[in-house]
Amino acid sequence: MTAQELEHLTIGVLALQGAFVEHIALLQKAAEELPLEHEAERHTTGGLSDHGTAQLSGLPPITIIPVRNPADLSRCAALVLPGGESTSIALIAARTNLLPLLRDFVKVARKPVWGTCAGLILLAEVADRTKSTGQELIGGLDVRVRRNYFGRQVESFEAELDLPFLQDGERTSFHSVFIRAPVVEEVLGPNRKAEVEEHVEGPSGTVTVTAPSKKATMAEVEILARLPGRAKALKDKVATAEELGEDGDIVAVRQGNVFGTAFHPELTGDGRIHRWWLKEVLKATRSPER
Amino acid sequence: MDSMMSSSSGPSQPTPTTLPDRPSAFRSQSSKPNGTTNPLSSYPTTSSPPTQSSTFAVKAGLAQMLKGGVIMDVVDAAQARIAEEAGACAVMALERVPADIRAQGGVARMSDPQMIQEIMRAVTIPVMAKARIGHLVECQILQEIGVDYIDESEVLTPADPTYHVEKNGFATPFVCGCRNLGEALRRISEGAAMIRTKGEAGTGDVVEAVRHMQTVNAQIARAAGCSEPELRALARDLECDLGLLRQTAQLKRLPVVNFAAGGIATPADAALMMQMGCDGVFVGSGIFKSGDAKARAKAIVQATTHYNDPKVLAEVSVGLGEAMVGINCGAMGEQEKLAKRGW
Repeated sequence: MTAQELEHLTIGVLALQGAFVEHIALLQKAAEELPLEHEAERHTTGGLSDHGTAQLSGLPPITIIPVRNPADLSRCAALVLPGGESTSIALIAARTNLLPLLRDFVKVARKPVWGTCAGLILLAEVADRTKSTGQELIGGLDVRVRRNYFGRQVESFEAELDLPFLQDGERTSFHSVFIRAPVVEEVLGPNRKAEVEEHVEGPSGTVTVTAPSKKATMAEVEILARLPGRAKALKDKVATAEELGEDGDIVAVRQGNVFGTAFHPELTGDGRIHRWWLKEVLKATRSPER
Repeated sequence: MDSMMSSSSGPSQPTPTTLPDRPSAFRSQSSKPNGTTNPLSSYPTTSSPPTQSSTFAVKAGLAQMLKGGVIMDVVDAAQARIAEEAGACAVMALERVPADIRAQGGVARMSDPQMIQEIMRAVTIPVMAKARIGHLVECQILQEIGVDYIDESEVLTPADPTYHVEKNGFATPFVCGCRNLGEALRRISEGAAMIRTKGEAGTGDVVEAVRHMQTVNAQIARAAGCSEPELRALARDLECDLGLLRQTAQLKRLPVVNFAAGGIATPADAALMMQMGCDGVFVGSGIFKSGDAKARAKAIVQATTHYNDPKVLAEVSVGLGEAMVGINCGAMGEQEKLAKRGW
């Protein structure tokens, strides 16, 4: 970590297609609120700065930028992949020569990355139900996602989720919007990806695709949120929901530097997840082991 | 249409589409404090969380996911695949592109559901389809077959001389055309979750698209500078809902996603509309009526993303073959204009 980077933290939102403006607005708001919150925290701990506040002390100025090309990406210490159409985003990224750079960003440099909906699909190592000729993935999360898991637009919905990672004096219930959303169908153990690769055909011309491998990570996949009750409710419609048992579909995961949500926190105007993630970014970019 | 809005089991559930409480599609962009509070504090807290489908937020949310993208008119599965491979964020399934509707004349109606379903099976991106203005049964049919968005479109022959479809009751979201702010807000109060400026479909002449976007922008700027009494007067002038007009004035943009449409034929046209502030573009006849549809479709997608980067725009504008043969809107009789349909 160089002194220059400490002085200024640039966070990018991939702006090739989709709801990137919403992410930029909420991250900006979170960046403005963070110093205030930080001040309040200092007062309550009465100067006995514990580990948490020490990590956040001396906040750098934060700039949020849209990322459309390699030059934009090279400025970023962290990145959000927004919701949108993952096929469009992948195609445009490939034509803009961003794909290899994004893979290095996520899987080699291991900088903090957060994907929502289409972003989660792009960050998965394996994705089901992609278009008939497949699509490019960035990867980084050892999971297998299924696109459009709940069905078409009429099956899109709003739901209340419990997000325990938001604790910190905050409510952990979070209202979430799922739009033609994916879910994490499976957390992939070692060697599992290779097995999956043999399995390519899907219903009505869709295919399963995998991300190119890079440097492996030792970090475990943590399941951060599930959507309770949905698996049961959908049993009649989607046979594979049974595999998940009654625990509910996995809708938020983290593996080391990579965070993914199947829903859209950027659509509700509730900035708590953005604030949480920004704090995680600050911790990661300032911890000495990186 | 009564049971299309599924309500959850919770007590005194707020009706999501009641006008004053209508969630803006741009809550995160609102500068007003009440636009950023969690609007869901009124949700009942029971052990099994309520899920609500077909709320306005869900309908407008899909449009937000389409932003920065290109929606392409396609007439069969093969064209739909070309559009998907080019990077389209959605396709519009219809039997005849507007240029052919214009050339062939006659009554233009909803497409054969079987043809729409073939397209739905062929691609994994959202599929939209058109219904005639005011034809609520065509809309019911399109909802039944599961299209992702219904376009109540002036490109087809209007079915109702007085009213547009009451769109709030449908589970499927609607996009509607507009030439000005009043028309846009009337459609939103009927339930449209996405707007497109009309332009003049099937001409390949971008001038009307520019005119309509300019008009909407100018009227929004005017509303943003209005006092409350002035807003009331403006709402009367524009013949629109005061609440929606106030919201538009605060947001300084339409409260739903707004794409440009009608006459976009080149990558430069698409970028021009994006620079004027639209959220994305519809390209109808412009792609599959041109010499090299694949190359042009790709180039328009790249131009829509990189609309502010002249270097990229120059690169993608090279060697696209012949653009569609245009019709000059200036030489067109007023009664030939499709944009005039809609009330």
